[in-house]
Amino acid sequence: MRASDLIHLLPELILLGGAALVLLLDIVWLRRAEERRRQLLPYVALGVLLVAALGLIPGGGDNVSVATMLVFDPFALFFKVFALLAVALIVLLATPYMQTRTPFSGEFYALLLATALAICLAVSASNLVMIYLSMEFLSITSYVLAGYFRQDRKSGEAALKYFLYGATASAVMLYGMSLLYGATGTTDLAGLVAGLSSGAAGQSAWLVTPAIILLLAGFGFKASLVPFHQWAPDTYEGAPTPVTAFLSTASKATGFAILMRVFLVGMGAASMASQWISLLVALSVVTMTLGNLTALRQTNIKRLLAYSSIAQAGYILIGVVAVVSDSTRIFTGINGVLIYLLAYLFTNVGAFAVVTAIEDATGKLEIKDYSGLVRRSPWLAGLLFIFLISLTGVPPTGGFLGKFFVFGAAVQTRMWVLLAIAAVNSVVAAFYYLNIVRYMFFVPAAEEGEPIRVGRPLQGALAITAVVTVLLGLIPGPVILWASESARSLLLALR
Amino acid sequence: MVPLSWYLILAAALFCIGVFGALARRNAVGILMGIELMLNAVNINLVAFWRHIGPDQMTGQLFAIFVITVAAAEAAVGLALIIAIYRQRNTVNVEEIDMMKG
Amino acid sequence: MNQFPLLSVITLLPLVGGLILLALPGARLQKWWALGVSLATFVISCLLFVWWKAGEAGMQFVERLPWVPQFNIQYYLGVDGLSLFLVLLTTFLTVLVILFSWEGVEQQLKPFLALLLLLETGMIGVFVALDLVLFYAFWELSLIPMYFLIGGWGDAHGTYNFLGRTLSWRVYAALKFFLYTFAGSALMLVAILVLYIRGGTFDLLALQQIGLAPNLQFWLFLAFGLAFAIKVPLFPFHTWLPDAHVEAPTAGSVILASVLLKMGTYGFVRFCLPLFPDASRQLGPWIAALAIVGILYGALVALVQKDVKSLVAYSSVAHLGFVMLGIFALNAQGVAGATLQMVNHGLSTGALFLMVGMLYNRRHTRLLADFGGLWKQIPIYGFLFLIVALSSAGLPGLNGFVGEFNILLGAFQMNRAYAVFGTLGIILAAWYLLVAVRQMLHGPLNKAENMAVRDLNVREIVTLAPIILLFFVIGLFPNLFFDKINPSAQAVVDALNRPQPIVSMAVDSER
Repeated sequence: MRASDLIHLLPELILLGGAALVLLLDIVWLRRAEERRRQLLPYVALGVLLVAALGLIPGGGDNVSVATMLVFDPFALFFKVFALLAVALIVLLATPYMQTRTPFSGEFYALLLATALAICLAVSASNLVMIYLSMEFLSITSYVLAGYFRQDRKSGEAALKYFLYGATASAVMLYGMSLLYGATGTTDLAGLVAGLSSGAAGQSAWLVTPAIILLLAGFGFKASLVPFHQWAPDTYEGAPTPVTAFLSTASKATGFAILMRVFLVGMGAASMASQWISLLVALSVVTMTLGNLTALRQTNIKRLLAYSSIAQAGYILIGVVAVVSDSTRIFTGINGVLIYLLAYLFTNVGAFAVVTAIEDATGKLEIKDYSGLVRRSPWLAGLLFIFLISLTGVPPTGGFLGKFFVFGAAVQTRMWVLLAIAAVNSVVAAFYYLNIVRYMFFVPAAEEGEPIRVGRPLQGALAITAVVTVLLGLIPGPVILWASESARSLLLALR
Repeated sequence: MVPLSWYLILAAALFCIGVFGALARRNAVGILMGIELMLNAVNINLVAFWRHIGPDQMTGQLFAIFVITVAAAEAAVGLALIIAIYRQRNTVNVEEIDMMKG
Repeated sequence: MNQFPLLSVITLLPLVGGLILLALPGARLQKWWALGVSLATFVISCLLFVWWKAGEAGMQFVERLPWVPQFNIQYYLGVDGLSLFLVLLTTFLTVLVILFSWEGVEQQLKPFLALLLLLETGMIGVFVALDLVLFYAFWELSLIPMYFLIGGWGDAHGTYNFLGRTLSWRVYAALKFFLYTFAGSALMLVAILVLYIRGGTFDLLALQQIGLAPNLQFWLFLAFGLAFAIKVPLFPFHTWLPDAHVEAPTAGSVILASVLLKMGTYGFVRFCLPLFPDASRQLGPWIAALAIVGILYGALVALVQKDVKSLVAYSSVAHLGFVMLGIFALNAQGVAGATLQMVNHGLSTGALFLMVGMLYNRRHTRLLADFGGLWKQIPIYGFLFLIVALSSAGLPGLNGFVGEFNILLGAFQMNRAYAVFGTLGIILAAWYLLVAVRQMLHGPLNKAENMAVRDLNVREIVTLAPIILLFFVIGLFPNLFFDKINPSAQAVVDALNRPQPIVSMAVDSER
């Protein structure tokens, strides 16, 4: 590693410095200050994210490998932009919400910036050691975020379950990594594929399947794939709502980013690809079906969105299994995953923004508490409706664009059975999304309530997410190009 | 010299004990100990492979040291969470920590 | 003239008007605004008729802009003889429906009118879109307002237990409507993607030229066909229809019956026949048989209905069976007759629903047994109802006859048995409609509530008059319409019978 390589690490360094700055500001300057000045903290965090985004410009995506640990390619760049956007939205979501619920909101923003840093490292990681370290970094910060309300029993329970499942999953994943290291003598992803497919192939080929399964425990945990999803409903329900929004979007996307990089780069050889593809097809089917069927009988909105998020992970996985190596194709599978994740980010964070607004005003989280919302707050009801039809996949929304691309990839690779199951699933999903719509619009409220007041930052988050969700459906061109371009660098590794 | 396979069998056994502990234990601290056993199995694997593959490359050692370090950090956070739960409910039995279901 | 984006204006004007409507205060202003927007849309859409290039089979008023150029998705609009009258029907009926809703929608008038206008955009879009993605977007767009109209403004009575949830009937009906259509369109989306991967474009006209293998055509036909068959609804996919119709507010029922159902039949003519000619020939007789079953089933079930609104709903199943029979006669006469019959059914059934709604506003019941002898009490209503019923039954001289006659001629050319069963359907239609007329209008005026019923007011007569006028125009001068329909219908049939060049598009998958 040379000093000049640091330019590529600029955003990471900014995030690190920024997290420290926020923490320091909170302790030294703001803790004893009056309330108004303390409200500056989220804007400091937003500023740090903005500077970090600017830091991506000089050395973001020019395919450089640093210290055999990190690679800076367009794929990583896509997810870094994604992570910064996601964390910025979460900061907006959390701004009135956290301050009224905990006296320690300063550390919260510092931890959020740390998760952004962790994601930036994780999506660039090209070495098993680095993948492990960055994933663990993300996990540990997430455990703390999930349990942020120390006085709240649900929050504590959410964090504990998240921790226990997460630590187990990462230990299982590590065992898989140690086996891969033993088989190939390297932890570098590019070296992995060479070691597994050549030379000692006879000795180590049998290792591929167990290693894939063991690794999947770790990645599947982050991406909340069945059967590594058990933590998700409880954690989503119990964690502070902005954190839930974070876990269901940014954290999940990181899981997918690592999964794609490891499998496409580290196990991209055709003989191995066929193995993990058939395994992932099964996971995709189970994930979307189980997620949707369980979502049908949920009564808590956060829990429902948790199961819906599991089901959506199943759809996203379609893009991964329908990958084609020819990057000139329109549907390469991977670009579908990227588009889907981006659309899902704005849609789901938007949905959680509405949930946050309502929880902040009324403290209620049951779906039946949404009765008559259209009378009480027509704007919130309308916005949630947009997000729900985007989750359903109705045009013209981002959710439709995502479905269009992953389904297109599956059509291209002729996965008819998978497609049929996905189509049936999307109808099932429509049912429970419409159920929320039904309460909001058709069921009269039990009692008359005041209109719900929404703070400025949250209004900003709602506006951004709603506009982007619709624009992704109306003017999809630029995003499609960007995603396809970003996917290309990974596809080159696939042989 | 002890052959590689012995180490691997030891590690595998340790890993299985750890998995059993993580799945079967009801006490959160017990589960954490199971997880630590799994991590130690990984460390044995890594070091054994390192010795076998060629000691001039430090990858395996390095990885093991990272695992030990991170495991410590993880345990610290995990124990903190467990203590927080214990203060709330006077129990660390995961079967009794079940406010949310569905 | 070609520079002026006429179709875009017609399609998007209601949407823009509906959005502005949301910002307007006061029920009076909102009503006049909605009426004005819909009227303007209708007037502009009449320019299509005026500026029509006679005798041309191809697309007119074409507008074409790249939408997502990287992937060949276009904003591509056009009308031909098959869609022209459906566009006009949509704009025409929207005006009348808004006029009808002047009174009777007690609450939440603003969103109601806005949804109607949004729905108009969706429906027109379906009829003019020539790009498959655009078509799909409009198809789904028309789904959402209808869902809200049924669920939000439908009749509130009774509950239904569905998957452990207690839903009111109208919400159940709305949900059923949505899920049925959505299930169909999910498959259609997959089929659209298959076509794209084969042909590299979403352009409908270009895709008609690529020549698909018969085996693939078969599956794609089924995928598209299922989406359309649910919408039509073709027997046995009709079960959502009576619920949706009966629960919907009158305005919703009118739009649903008159226009939304036509999206299905139109889909068959516009997409299934030209894109999958081999499959159409192969599956045509089967679908025609289902259409016959639908005709007879719908008529027989209509015959035993006690509620006049469900009677009309089931009559729709029968009438739409006729349209399907005409389409799958697979000859020019049948297709042209079916196209005109779509319009006829829209007018007749729309008028029936309007009249049932008018009576319901007065009596708050729709049971046949609650009426009787109304002719004496409300003669204008009785007279107009009789005309509408006769039009629906296909009396010569009125519009229904022209369409059904052509359909039967077409069916006769294909298979005599079909024509025989079709004729039986017409007789049954006359039967159940006259039964309804007799029970409502004739007999003794022996119920106290019926003696206080007031006759139609001017607004209601103004609402109905244009439709009844059109009954006679179509019935007496059918060639005014066939002139424009025939070339396009002929072109569809010609393309169907032309041997297809089987070009294997080598866009197969490989990893």
